Amino acid sequence: MRRLASGAGDTLFSPAHTTPVQVCPTMNDANSTPLSPDDAILSLDGLAKTFRVGFWGRPVQALRGVSLTMRRGESLGYLGPNGSGKTTSIKCIVGLIQASAGKVQLFGGDPGEAPRRAKVGYLPESPYFYDYLTPIEVMEYVGKLYGMSARDRAERSHKLLGQVGLDQAAKRPLRGFSKGMLQRVGIAQSLLADPELLIWDEPLSGLDPMGRKEVRDIMAALRADGKSLFFSSHVLSDIETLCDSVCILDRGQAVAQGRLSDLLRSEELESEAVAEIPSGDNRPAAIATLAALPGVVLTDLPSGVRLVLPTAQVPALMAKLLELGGFLRELNQRRDSLEELFLRKAVKRDQDGGAA
Amino acid sequence: MTAIVTKSGLELHTSGAFAMLRRISAVVGNTLREAGRAKLFYGLLGAAVMLLGFSLVLSDLALVDQKARLVQSFGMAVVPLVCVGTAVLMGALLLHKEIDKKTLYAILPKPIARGEFIAGKLLGLCALLVIELVALALVWWAVLSMRGGQMTGPIVRGLALHVIELVLVTSIAVFFSALTRPVLSGLLTAGVFVVGRVTYVITDLLAARKGLFVEVPAMRAVGKALVVAIPDLSTFAVADPILQGWDVPWSYVASASMYGLCWALAFAVGAVLLFQRRDFT
Repeated sequence: MRRLASGAGDTLFSPAHTTPVQVCPTMNDANSTPLSPDDAILSLDGLAKTFRVGFWGRPVQALRGVSLTMRRGESLGYLGPNGSGKTTSIKCIVGLIQASAGKVQLFGGDPGEAPRRAKVGYLPESPYFYDYLTPIEVMEYVGKLYGMSARDRAERSHKLLGQVGLDQAAKRPLRGFSKGMLQRVGIAQSLLADPELLIWDEPLSGLDPMGRKEVRDIMAALRADGKSLFFSSHVLSDIETLCDSVCILDRGQAVAQGRLSDLLRSEELESEAVAEIPSGDNRPAAIATLAALPGVVLTDLPSGVRLVLPTAQVPALMAKLLELGGFLRELNQRRDSLEELFLRKAVKRDQDGGAA
Repeated sequence: MTAIVTKSGLELHTSGAFAMLRRISAVVGNTLREAGRAKLFYGLLGAAVMLLGFSLVLSDLALVDQKARLVQSFGMAVVPLVCVGTAVLMGALLLHKEIDKKTLYAILPKPIARGEFIAGKLLGLCALLVIELVALALVWWAVLSMRGGQMTGPIVRGLALHVIELVLVTSIAVFFSALTRPVLSGLLTAGVFVVGRVTYVITDLLAARKGLFVEVPAMRAVGKALVVAIPDLSTFAVADPILQGWDVPWSYVASASMYGLCWALAFAVGAVLLFQRRDFT
């Protein structure tokens, strides 16, 4: 028996028993050379999808040449408003939709090949399962599709259902489950085969606050465990917390992508200062002098003079304050949030007439 | 056989014929379970049992030596008809339910080919139809015994032929189910079944020196196309010869089965090709 392996070491979601195996390097294909950790595990190259709708088959472009690369161990947030093409591109990756143009590669090869698909754990948006099955039976069915042994299926199912908080409901039919409980079943089944890459479509939707926290904790643990996470969300704070990098999609196009730290870089941004200016007859003139600095927005507050200004103007502000006999009480660099970045990109695209 | 070993030591067997059979059998098991829970199935089964029971009442009206024959005739009509009805209706809904309820969205991204999924669904429904046929045959046998009749060899061979016909009709239903919506696929399957049962009439009319096919050349082309494109289901309709005392030899069952299974395979391949092209939005 030839065995292909994806690495070594224990994982958070490892089964209770492990079989001693001869481990060979991570696969690209059966006879591949080892992949380095920097190699792309998922890449989209000019992915496009046009749907034909209505009686006359009117073309609607859902994706217009999306390209991105995701590397092993990376956590990538897929962000965009409703109808931006997030779910369509995820479905193209997992093979539910065929792309009209462009290319998808998983682990450096054809995503349709079973060994590659076996390394992906997919959670659909609002997952639905056969409502006459119990969570244990869903896991059993899915485990058979992955070619897992009966022992592994039983052990992994028990463990994962416990981790998603469904151990008490494991033997109840799904028809009585809430949306949040179904989401947990979906998460558990996506982790069953210990996949390297998790593709989760809106994993936090439909969950109560406690459920959201639990799923976030699971995601953080998976990330710490070295899993690669690709997930879409509308909740920007979740993406900001859980992701190393993001891809922002708008009207079928990637409008921004890269590492969060790069995208939210500070040099284009502003600083916020609070200054003290001596009271007296000269105060109005001093305030006018500060307000005349390029790009400054000044507010005179009882607690001090608040200034928002380009970071590049901070030395000039300090020099002026010295001249005026004042001093700087607080200085903070304003960091763009993901939400601001997202809104800025969306507004820019609107100004560009959607042709960014 | 190739096994993938995950980071945590889990072995995944996704390649090879055995792994493929395991996946198909998983889908068969689930389809059988799903179809076996359908109210439609039990409705049709119940109607058939009632009709067979009614034949017991009806046979009281027959002459003394014709009672068993009446039950025999009734069963020969009811059992195949109800089973074909089940195949048409449940076959038309087979894929639609998976798409409509989005249950297949969590299944197809797994390491299972779409062809394997279709094969599993098809075989699962066929298994259910065989169970239905056997159950109805047992009820029929019981009713027949009460009227002094018996399950003869030709009747058993006729039922065996009917199993092949059910496999073929199910394949046709799944083919149309992969193509269009359930109402239309049900109608198209029923249409193929009806035309398939009278293909020999079309063949006779094409060979005749007068009639519609001679008078209207365009219709002649349609007739020829129907004969070529639609399987001759009269091959499996052996009720009349059996009731008239003819035998149905095993050699006929074998050749008819080959014919039916080849057609079933063709429709199943067509269903897979159509299903592979579908987007699940």
